[in-house]
Amino acid sequence: MSETPKLSVSTEHNDPAVIMCPAGRIDGNTVSILEGALQEQYDAGNNILVFDFEELNYISSAGLRVLLLTARRSQQSGGKVIFCGLAENISQIFQISGFNDILNVKSSRAEALADL
Amino acid sequence: MDNSPVRVLVVDDEEDLELLVRQKFRRRIRRGELEFLFAHNGKEALEQLLENPDVRLVLSDINMPVMDGLTLLNQLSEVDQDIQAVIVSAYGDMDNIRIAMNRGAFDFLTKPIDFNDLEITIEKALRHIHEMQTALEARDNLVAIRQELDVARQVQMSVRPKELPENRICEVNAEIIPAKEIGGDLYDYFYIDEFHLGLVIADVSGKGVPAALFTLLTRALLRAATKNHSSPAECLNLVNDLLSEDNETCIFVTLFFGSLDITNGVMSYSNAGHNLPRVLRVDSSVVEVPSTNNLVLGVLKGHQYSNDQIQLDPGDTLILYTDGISEAENSLEEEFGEARLDEKLTGLAGMRADIVLQDVIDSVREFAGDAPQSDDITCLVARMHDPVKSP
Repeated sequence: MSETPKLSVSTEHNDPAVIMCPAGRIDGNTVSILEGALQEQYDAGNNILVFDFEELNYISSAGLRVLLLTARRSQQSGGKVIFCGLAENISQIFQISGFNDILNVKSSRAEALADL
Repeated sequence: MDNSPVRVLVVDDEEDLELLVRQKFRRRIRRGELEFLFAHNGKEALEQLLENPDVRLVLSDINMPVMDGLTLLNQLSEVDQDIQAVIVSAYGDMDNIRIAMNRGAFDFLTKPIDFNDLEITIEKALRHIHEMQTALEARDNLVAIRQELDVARQVQMSVRPKELPENRICEVNAEIIPAKEIGGDLYDYFYIDEFHLGLVIADVSGKGVPAALFTLLTRALLRAATKNHSSPAECLNLVNDLLSEDNETCIFVTLFFGSLDITNGVMSYSNAGHNLPRVLRVDSSVVEVPSTNNLVLGVLKGHQYSNDQIQLDPGDTLILYTDGISEAENSLEEEFGEARLDEKLTGLAGMRADIVLQDVIDSVREFAGDAPQSDDITCLVARMHDPVKSP
């Protein structure tokens, strides 16, 4: 596929957390981009992550799996993962799948940072 | 790759080339890296090649009796397309060299042969041959992997349930339209016992062989779990605990499991994070089958699933589907969406299950147009018919 990747992941540092801002779509074709960005954070020893989904349009089950892995991995190493800024369609996916109940989801970035 | 020597055929009517090669490459011959065969004209060379099909490189003079080197070149590709040739020609014989190159020679040498030149040219040709071989092996491996994927898909497709025997309460039709890459969708229907019909739809996260394996596992576990006639939620508790155990990969399954009582049309169900099924009532209204607010399967061991129930009346139609339908995209990247699905269903009230199924799938395909299908499209339709006559 010659199309440009439909996902970019920018990061901001906000001690002690790293804020991950994926923009676009997380699906089977782009999920490796997210995995790459996450691996960088693990390699740098950052396990306190805030996912700001403000710019995220879509997430498939392949993407959700990586979020689960990330949350589990951070927890196991004494870190923390918080999600915020979910658009309605993504919020709905979180609700239907039950992820709302097992992941830490806040409505805004400010709330997420306050919970660190 | 094996370690047998690379075989090179040297073709010359005079002895010089043979002597030079035997002398200069003697170490590599001794080490078993190279093996040389010799012929004295094109015809002999072709005979040698037929006897020794593993020859990879031909080093040939041009002027020879019986059959010259250029004629030999023409015939080489008929013997073996992958065979490479290096032509030896008189210094300054540009015409013949050009013809040889046009006929597919890999390179050329000029007489009198400079040994360094010979060695470098042969090395270069052997490297090229090696690269070609590696590329061919890689291609063969890819083909093999593709074939395995096809087998995985066939296995997945072959475990679909047989047609439901005629029964007193409903007709069931279902379909998977697989995406290009093997996916993780699943539907199933089966009699749990004499009075209960199990209806299942599920979607495993991700794609490829891991998803397909998880799909087969889920189907088998659920069918096994129903053997002790427990409620849908109890079945899901068991399946979830088994799937969650040591699930390092975090592959998960969204799954809807309904148990339809064929004596009264009451469907008990539990929904593990799957899209909400629809009920199309006789009056053309469409209602969601309410969520049981449960987590996907395979993530959290010990999660307690809950039951709910819904009444299906004669003429009602139950529609189970995966996000391959709701998230099907057209070329403008718009989603088909639940609203379009509901609107489509409204017009299908009272129709046969197979017609509803086909219409839903057709309208998704029509909507998607030329846009590539990225996910399995799966739908199960159960239509209730006349009320049960008391036995």
